[in-house]
Amino acid sequence: MTLPRVSSRRVAVQIMIPVAAVVLSLATGALLLLAVGADPISAYESMFRAAFGSLFSTSITIGKAMPRLLAALGIALALRAGLWNIGAEGQIYVGGVASTAVVLGAPDVSFPVVLVAAMVAGTLAGAVWGAIPGVLRATRGISEVITSLMLVYVAIQLTNYLLESPWVVPHSTFPATEPFASEHRLPIIWPGTLLNAGAVIAALAVVLAWVLSSRSTFGLELRALGGGEQAARFAGVRVKRIVVAAMAVSGAFAGLAGSVEILGVRGRLLEGFSPGYGFEAIAIALIGRLQPAGILLAAVLFGALDAGAAGLLTSGKGVPSSIVQITEAMAVVYVLIALGINEKLSRRRRAREALTGVRRDDAEDLDQAGNVPALDTSVTTGIGSADVEGWHRP
Amino acid sequence: MASAVNEEYISLLLVAAVSLAAPLLFAAIGELISERAGVINIELEGMMLVGAFTGVWGAYLSGSVWVGFLAAAAGGLLVALIHGVMCFVFLANQVVSGVVLNILALGLTSFGLDAVFGSSLNRSVGTLDRVRIPVLADIPFVGPALFSQRLTVYVAILLVPATWWLLNRTASGLALKSAGERPDAAEALGVRVMRVRWVALMACGILAGIGGGQLTLAGLGFFTPNVTAGRGFIALAAVVFGKWNPIGAAAAVLLFATADAFQIRAQALGIDLPYQLLVSLPYLATLIALAGLLRKMRPPAALGINYLPD
Repeated sequence: MTLPRVSSRRVAVQIMIPVAAVVLSLATGALLLLAVGADPISAYESMFRAAFGSLFSTSITIGKAMPRLLAALGIALALRAGLWNIGAEGQIYVGGVASTAVVLGAPDVSFPVVLVAAMVAGTLAGAVWGAIPGVLRATRGISEVITSLMLVYVAIQLTNYLLESPWVVPHSTFPATEPFASEHRLPIIWPGTLLNAGAVIAALAVVLAWVLSSRSTFGLELRALGGGEQAARFAGVRVKRIVVAAMAVSGAFAGLAGSVEILGVRGRLLEGFSPGYGFEAIAIALIGRLQPAGILLAAVLFGALDAGAAGLLTSGKGVPSSIVQITEAMAVVYVLIALGINEKLSRRRRAREALTGVRRDDAEDLDQAGNVPALDTSVTTGIGSADVEGWHRP
Repeated sequence: MASAVNEEYISLLLVAAVSLAAPLLFAAIGELISERAGVINIELEGMMLVGAFTGVWGAYLSGSVWVGFLAAAAGGLLVALIHGVMCFVFLANQVVSGVVLNILALGLTSFGLDAVFGSSLNRSVGTLDRVRIPVLADIPFVGPALFSQRLTVYVAILLVPATWWLLNRTASGLALKSAGERPDAAEALGVRVMRVRWVALMACGILAGIGGGQLTLAGLGFFTPNVTAGRGFIALAAVVFGKWNPIGAAAAVLLFATADAFQIRAQALGIDLPYQLLVSLPYLATLIALAGLLRKMRPPAALGINYLPD
């Protein structure tokens, strides 16, 4: 079997679409700013300065990119199998909670034992939280979409309960634990900045995600499942096991994201510590076209927008920082529209080829080119359906 | 403090529960109609949020709460139309589109709040008065809750039997359900699946928008960022917990709203129960129901699957 040829068309889909979408979304944001009488150039300038203006601000951007990156890597892995882990937000919360539990309950042992144990606990908690929808999907045919979404709010309420009852700090005005001792936090690895060791973990996670998806049997099985349950079964994939494993691994990445956020960035557990990172991560996974390198770039972009939003707030120019959320969402909207147009063009071409019997060389079918079927925008969610035919394709 | 639980307490609890249920009921009925036609709206929360905002905006500009409700319906409809274009025209996955539209709704409404009202200024608008139905409102316990409510609450309650009748007793209802179960077969039988789905989705947007308006216009009288605070997801859960049936969804909404009303009052009674448990009830109950521990669940077979006529 020969390697799939990289056609110009495929490069366009994988690289040009996300880039064009980001540019368009920034332009949309600029138009909105103009509409409210703000100067978009100076607004984007203050955002850029707040995100990359100095080593210090760059380290803030990286810190804001880390949880989004980790969660998005996991979401992308599950998506390769056609599974929608839209509950990463909840897995982030249980990850942060489990890490906190280890830190608060830790006996007086030396660095880095507690820290490592806290990271492991967070990762495992995320894996369990992710595995629940996987088990329900595998054993009862219930869509992971609704169940993983429901578990988000259970996780958030669990966090709030812990912060207001067992872990409550008397006389504090905001539900949060006391700041952790420095030996229980991820150390700063670049003095003078806020860059913590979580960045190294995130970088390793990118490599791990690449190995898992592109260089392992597990990755092959994920893709086989993504191509259709029945076909995967014929190919010898133990479907139920892979469904649970994919969701658990996906949850593990998000749980680790929560650990890194709590142990590295925040240094304590606090209410609402993830303001939607897990939902944004879905957008990041899609803009990054499920490729670890693409996800890394998209996560840094979102981190920069977030850091830039803080810059907008302090710039005193009266520019609403909500422009950032709009820009992020519009980037995905444009990606989805471009993929839809691409899909329609492919269908039209396939139909023409079927009529004429001619297959042009550059008209490579994206699915055959190793593209992920889950990103075929016509793919289904199979909400609650145990119907295998209805699982992936209409 | 058991003595505090008397007729008046229960009566007030039910009044609060029905008031809390009304926005959820609008959204849940809308989502139910849409899901029965095969379209899932994770962005139900976003529809409510946009409706909550445009409702206040409309009422502020016009000085009329009813114009506000029209604007709320238009706001929800707008989100539905974007979802429809994304999913039906550009073939986007319905779940992805929904997640993204929630982020967009949050951003747009916060942006709009700054742009229209100015960030620090919290302009409030008039709200609806309660309309008391004589005699019926004097029934012990349930009278005040059901018969001394704002006009829109009565509309929400009447939507439940109306939707049941539409789904189970009319040809349109049959066409709608067939579009959500076997779209290909429905199309072969002459049902125009895409048209049915568009109508159902638009109905959902309008109802969820009104639900958002109910939140801000019937009670609060102002808009704050993320004022819906997850109510769209609770409505989504109610549809599932109610087994995709209007009566069931309404019962689920009432159960969840009663838990919420009780949660607010439990602390005053000195009941030592973590209120977070009650807040999680909609999600936990739905998970348990879905896991089949309570009863068998069967969603519409083609739910969330884009229909592609070839």
